[in-house]
Amino acid sequence: MNFIDVNSVVKQYDGHLALDHVDLHVPQGTVYGLLGPNGAGKTSLIRIINRITRADSGTVLLNGREMVQADIANIGYLPEERGLYKKIKVADEIVYLARLKGMPKALAISEMEKWLERFDLTEWRNRKVEELSKGMQQKVQFITTVIHRPQLLIFDEPFSGFDPVNAEQLKREIIQLRNEGSTILFSTHNMASVEEICEQITLINHSRVVLEGKVDDIKQQHKKNLFVVNVAGNEKIEAKDGLFDVVPSNDVQGSLIKLTKGATLHDAIAHLNDHHTLTGITEKLPSMHEIFIETVQNK
Amino acid sequence: MNKLKLIIQHEYMTIVGKKSFIIMTILIPFLLILLLFVPIMMKYINDKTDSSEMRIAVVDKSHNYGGAFKDNGRYRFELMSGDSMDKTYDIYKKASGRVDAIMVIPADVLESQQVELFSEKTLDESTVMYLNQCLTDTLSKAKIASFQDPDLANKISQSQVNASIKSKKWNENGEEQEQSATIASIIGMVLAFLTYTFVLSYGAMIMNSVVEEKTNRIVEVIVSSCKPMELMMGKIIGVGLVGLTQFAIWVVLIGIAMGVIGVMGIGADAASSADAMAMNMPETESTVASLMAALTSINWFSLLGNFIIYFVGGYLLYASLFAGFGSAVDQASDSSQFTMPIILIMMVALYAGIGCMSNPNGPMAVWCSMIPFTSPVVMMVRLPFDVPWWQLLLSIVLLFGTALLCIWISARIYRTGILLYGKKHKFKEILKWIK
Repeated sequence: MNFIDVNSVVKQYDGHLALDHVDLHVPQGTVYGLLGPNGAGKTSLIRIINRITRADSGTVLLNGREMVQADIANIGYLPEERGLYKKIKVADEIVYLARLKGMPKALAISEMEKWLERFDLTEWRNRKVEELSKGMQQKVQFITTVIHRPQLLIFDEPFSGFDPVNAEQLKREIIQLRNEGSTILFSTHNMASVEEICEQITLINHSRVVLEGKVDDIKQQHKKNLFVVNVAGNEKIEAKDGLFDVVPSNDVQGSLIKLTKGATLHDAIAHLNDHHTLTGITEKLPSMHEIFIETVQNK
Repeated sequence: MNKLKLIIQHEYMTIVGKKSFIIMTILIPFLLILLLFVPIMMKYINDKTDSSEMRIAVVDKSHNYGGAFKDNGRYRFELMSGDSMDKTYDIYKKASGRVDAIMVIPADVLESQQVELFSEKTLDESTVMYLNQCLTDTLSKAKIASFQDPDLANKISQSQVNASIKSKKWNENGEEQEQSATIASIIGMVLAFLTYTFVLSYGAMIMNSVVEEKTNRIVEVIVSSCKPMELMMGKIIGVGLVGLTQFAIWVVLIGIAMGVIGVMGIGADAASSADAMAMNMPETESTVASLMAALTSINWFSLLGNFIIYFVGGYLLYASLFAGFGSAVDQASDSSQFTMPIILIMMVALYAGIGCMSNPNGPMAVWCSMIPFTSPVVMMVRLPFDVPWWQLLLSIVLLFGTALLCIWISARIYRTGILLYGKKHKFKEILKWIK
């Protein structure tokens, strides 16, 4: 069951086509990556799902039915460009934004206290936002995004501005939210985090969807028949015509070989065993980073 | 609707809770009262305590009119022989500090009606006026005497006329009430100026708030929770309520302060010293009683009622423009390109208001009080002069109609503007957003 279905959405700004018949299908309870270079149309798409702007054509279904204005209470949005009111107190800020999402005041206050506790911010509750460090402000912003327990969470570059420790905590919180049943749409350039937490992705480039599917499947589709080979004594491996080439590489432990077209892994292993004492061989799948760059540059 | 209420509440509390707001709200009435009373009090204190005497040497070449100048607490005159051929400066030097000025009465003073006054320092206005008064009195007595008619002085004093006009107007019951055009003008101008400053300062507050939300990007979070129109209207209404709150506090504070001053009797003293100052000018026969009568003749209920109606209308009109154009600003420092035209229109309104003071029912006043962009200010000037009801009604309808139109236009600019970052926008582009 998909939680969001974006069907053939088109959005045009002043002669510029921001989204060109874009489809996006996010299954319920998953962390879904929305990828793409700057200016590809990610923010435009997110704003349409958020109902900040309207699509020129196409439909957005939430839980299988057409979205209505009231659905925004069910969405939490962390924009890439962070922003909070700087001059008001942390507690007031969180409660105000929670109530804007339709939370009753008493519930907003009790939830706010839980979340402040969870992020070690309780002693800051009566301080003005501008007195907090950047990392703490990011945490406050995260709380305002999730406090009303939305079924859909949209994170735009959630890790930017976090130090590694806080980023780790944030990652745990995101996974936790997913485990509790939230669907998470996750827009980022940080491909390492995509590999860690996203199950599926859609890659947008030049206003169009250029790649979409499960992370594992995409990696399989993009594999280049590369294998990391380890042999006893760290002997140098020579290329074998018709079987494999040796690819110079510094970032693997061992030697990197590329199977020649038509050759089988079985033959290669047999050949390697004949000449060396093979201690290990693993397939090297491309990273999402490589796939991203390759896909974006090819189009 | 609930969200609108929440936003209004938030905007209102954010401003009202600020220290600067609390301080300004309490301080300004006292500053105003100080501004009003300090000059009067200072003059009063100065007059009471100024004991320095001015010594004037009189060189009487006419041998007749030297006695015209009488000593009093402030001036002492010293008659000198008119035959001295010394230059006045030499006399002054010889006196070596005993005199401050030397007056020379020429032999033909009755014909020339002029004397000369020499001094090292510039003499103040009140001294010159006193001397002039003495000379005029004496010379006119001499002229009257020259007609050899013992009754003439009597006849002339009896024929002295000091005409004055006491204007009264009828109230609804046909009863007569005193009125004063001067006081009506002053009240009108004060209201006009209040409207001008309130609309501008609160309009600017809206713009800053819009620009701030946009530049720190929180607007994106907010509009993912509510409609841009709700945010804009919440802001306009919230800030407007702050304005009305501040106004109400000022009225109460000024009322209390005036009451306290009245009880302490400072006001009465100050008023009497103001009267004393005015004595040289007989046409301003302003006593506290006639001032009060004129003040009570004004229909304060309708005046303040209309003031609030125009204030609200003018505020909605300009505040929505400030909000709309504020949304097109990318950096706070760029906002002047949009505020300048709005401020210019407001200034035109203020000057039109000042211009209409002398003829509050003339064609310029009538037109400017109909045009919605100037009417909130200009109508204030006209209000104390009883505007025909149909003009008032038409003007209010036009004002609120235009305000609604401006809100509609601004809302359309706003919902596009707040989401476009990183670019300066021209008026031409902004016009496109309205479509």
